[in-house]
Amino acid sequence: MTSEAAPAAGATTPVLAVRDLKIAFAGRPVLDGLTFEVASGEVYGLLGPNGAGKTTCINITCGLLGADAGSARVAGLAPGEGARREIGVVPQEIALYRQLTCMENLLFFAGAHDVAVQRRRERAERCLEAVQLGDRADDLVATLSGGMHRRLNVAVGLVHEPLLLILDEPTVGLDLEARQLSWELIETLRRTGTTILLTTHYLEEAEALCTRIGIMAGGRLAAEGEMAELRGRIPAAELGVIHAENPGEIERRAEGLGFEYRTAGDAVTVWLPERRRLEQVAEDFAGLSVRSLSVRPVGLEQIYQEVTAVSGRLAV
Amino acid sequence: MSVVAQRILLELWHTRRSLVFWVLFPALMLLLFGLIYADGEGTGDSFDDMAPSILIGAALFFSCLSGVITVLVGERERHTLKRVLLSSLSGRDYFMGIVAAFCVIAAGQAVIVYGIAYAFGGRYHGSLLLGTVIVILSVMAYVGVGFFFGARFAKSTEEVNGPVSAIGVPLLVLGGTFFPPDMLPSYLYKATHLNPVFHMNEALREVSAMGAGWAAVADHLLFLAVFAAASLLAGTRSYQRMMAREARL
Ligand SMILES: Nc1ncnc2c1ncn2[C@@H]1O[C@H](COP(=O)(O)OP(=O)(O)OP(=O)(O)O)[C@@H](O)[C@H]1O
Ligand SMILES: [Mg+2]
Repeated sequence: MTSEAAPAAGATTPVLAVRDLKIAFAGRPVLDGLTFEVASGEVYGLLGPNGAGKTTCINITCGLLGADAGSARVAGLAPGEGARREIGVVPQEIALYRQLTCMENLLFFAGAHDVAVQRRRERAERCLEAVQLGDRADDLVATLSGGMHRRLNVAVGLVHEPLLLILDEPTVGLDLEARQLSWELIETLRRTGTTILLTTHYLEEAEALCTRIGIMAGGRLAAEGEMAELRGRIPAAELGVIHAENPGEIERRAEGLGFEYRTAGDAVTVWLPERRRLEQVAEDFAGLSVRSLSVRPVGLEQIYQEVTAVSGRLAV
Repeated sequence: MSVVAQRILLELWHTRRSLVFWVLFPALMLLLFGLIYADGEGTGDSFDDMAPSILIGAALFFSCLSGVITVLVGERERHTLKRVLLSSLSGRDYFMGIVAAFCVIAAGQAVIVYGIAYAFGGRYHGSLLLGTVIVILSVMAYVGVGFFFGARFAKSTEEVNGPVSAIGVPLLVLGGTFFPPDMLPSYLYKATHLNPVFHMNEALREVSAMGAGWAAVADHLLFLAVFAAASLLAGTRSYQRMMAREARL
């Protein structure tokens, strides 16, 4: 769907090139040298905690905010030079005309993006097919289910054949089933070669969908790579999280057992080199002042903590 | 036709509720005032007189002004405004699209109003082209005012209905929509020359009821043309302002 390169884009021009982006709000830096690239066909996940500056980065890319320094170019174009035409944005909210049909929504936005009149219907039909709403073309949006709204919301972002599709937190606030549906849709788009930038808080989401991930901290990328690489930074099969009266005791026991650990307040997170049953872990730390104990998979928080500790910056 | 105009008309068509009221309101007002002002000779003259001001002062006021505000509030409430602001549409495209949509509505209202007037012996006596120009300038003026308020202040429809009725309806009355403005005391008559509704009503009444030509209504036309141009300017600026303040993901 986004396979044709824009005339301005050479074979090696990345679809999105963000370079040394800086912006401060009221003297507080939010982006401070953010740099990354998204190549054609990639699904790039921009991860970061609340307030990390993910949405700010998207706003600058779309030309809705001016950066203090640096640049964000789509197919080599700055926002003022027609980059906007090459971007399809899917807002987090459902942004559709409820009293129009699916087809009418798509035709309107195709027109609003200057798609040639004779191509609009064909584009609209293709996009409806892409989100499996081909049979609902003439139904009013108001009569569709919530999941269908989500799908049409994405379709509208694709109608003008953008080179880059931007999804800002596509699944935040969705229930499990709706999230699953969104994942399937993004997965389908990835298979058809759509280049996507998506932001998310969820590690599993990034892991399931993204070909590459960048983790933001302190206004720039603290780590970047494929999920496997990032996970490799925490060589643990699972994590044992132990809250204790006396964390020092736990640390000493962990050392004795040859486990790596990280302590935050009264919680010690122990890196378990292989999968262990809860009882086994309980046995390992028996006789100490353990208040609670759980075993969980390696999550985004640990990777955050690791990469931010390594880069010497604090997560926002 | 512009995509914006098409979209607004399609949405109205699918909903139809506001269309019903935009037909019912001028129809009832014209019947009422046409019959109130009728004398022993029949209803021809009174419908001649009332049709133009009911169309331009009452029908267009409610459809265009409240219609535009509803369009803008709707865009905000449904988050489509962000998408519109992110598209290739310019402020001018958007504003003129709204004007075009409401010109179509106005044409429909004109057919209804003059249809009823015709049934009671009223006629349109002037140049059709001149009448059309007056209606288009009036639509632009109303859309301009509605756009200004909708773009700046209106977060919800309820928020707007109050000020529109409280300030708008007196302006209609002062503009001679429901009675000839020469019934006004002289200081109010002077003041109403600053009221665009007065110029719309006077221009169309002279053309429609008396068959006046371009030269006879030149002053009114000039006022309306300047007001319409200012509306377009204010409209594009309001759009840019929305772009600067509201176009954020
Ligand atoms: N226009 C603005 N004016 C002032 N501050 C802003 C503005 N836009 C964003 N900020 C601030 O910049 C920081 C980054 O916000 P941003 O929305 O980019 O974060 P985010 O990574 O998208 O977070 P979330 O995951 O919560 O969506 C926040 O502290 C926010 O308050
Ligand atoms: Mg955000």
